[in-house]
Amino acid sequence: MEKVVLKATRRTVIGKQVGALRRAGELPAILYGHNVEPTAISMNAKEVTKTLARVSASSLVTIDLDGKEFPTLVRERQREPIKGVIIHMDFQAVSLTEKIRANVSIVLTGASPAVKDFSAILVTTLNALELEALPQDLPERIVVDIAKLEKIGDGIHVSDLVLSDKVHVVSSTDEMIVLAAAPKTEVEEVAPTEAEVAVEEGAEPDVIEKGKKEEEGEEEEKKK
Amino acid sequence: MLMPKRVKYRKQMRGRMKGKELRGVEVSFGEYGLQALEPGWVTARQIEAARRTIVHAMKRRGKVWIRIFPDKPFTRKPPETRMGKGKGNVEYWVAVVKPGRVMFEVGGLDEGTARDALNLARRKFAIKTKIVARYDLVAGEQA
Repeated sequence: MEKVVLKATRRTVIGKQVGALRRAGELPAILYGHNVEPTAISMNAKEVTKTLARVSASSLVTIDLDGKEFPTLVRERQREPIKGVIIHMDFQAVSLTEKIRANVSIVLTGASPAVKDFSAILVTTLNALELEALPQDLPERIVVDIAKLEKIGDGIHVSDLVLSDKVHVVSSTDEMIVLAAAPKTEVEEVAPTEAEVAVEEGAEPDVIEKGKKEEEGEEEEKKK
Repeated sequence: MLMPKRVKYRKQMRGRMKGKELRGVEVSFGEYGLQALEPGWVTARQIEAARRTIVHAMKRRGKVWIRIFPDKPFTRKPPETRMGKGKGNVEYWVAVVKPGRVMFEVGGLDEGTARDALNLARRKFAIKTKIVARYDLVAGEQA
């Protein structure tokens, strides 16, 4: 992937005042990490959102802060809960000569014969894998071909992945990534009648009685 | 239907629903989810109806996660009762939902089936909702 460079400027506005920055089209962010003092920065929101939409957590992003370049990893993207707009970002500056740990997302591709022919249920148990490597050697994402899942019960483990020698897997190699599980046996759900629903709705849960009684009871037992 | 097994107090005050939800706003377990866009009370009946609809639409594939729980009792006085004489009886249970809350999630389905299932479930609620996908599915990003 080509080098991703994002321009940033130092930010003096902090706290609740950053709302004004966001309204002006800026995105507040922070840069911290290896031998770098935590620095509040701001960037062009539109440019960052567009560029980082195709960048994964393990991709190197270069921050151009007033002419000085920092190789970084995106550590966190804070989002507005409803619109999903990015409202703040964390960039971790990394040293290109020191190994780091990062989560690399797992992407499933292809079609599984188990699902096609035997109606198996694809159970994904791992969405990301923790890897240790030099920042520039980290893969952007790990692509797993599920065409290997031929029959029910077949699974792909971490140990089945073919990764570069420069990368060390931190997570356990026994972990399952994806499994073709047996389909559920068909159980006809009988819709409850109005009367049943009424009874169920009328049911009241137990009320936790005050702890005093229990304590008193215990004391009496002790006296005996 | 969902309701608590044990409670500390049988009846509750109504409370207020200010602001947005800050937790449980992302699709965390499955691949697609149903997100609330309005504040409101979602009843145990609505949750059950939505769950049934989703399970039916999934045709024995995939998995469903329900991420809300009706733990608030709703009381009502019988009709033609004079005011006073204490609070009414517990009629049903509700979950308090604020905008942003991911209420249901589905996983292990193709996008079309997942969206169809959630679309059918949307009709079971009295509040506005939208279908959301996990962020790393949308843009391949993950942070």
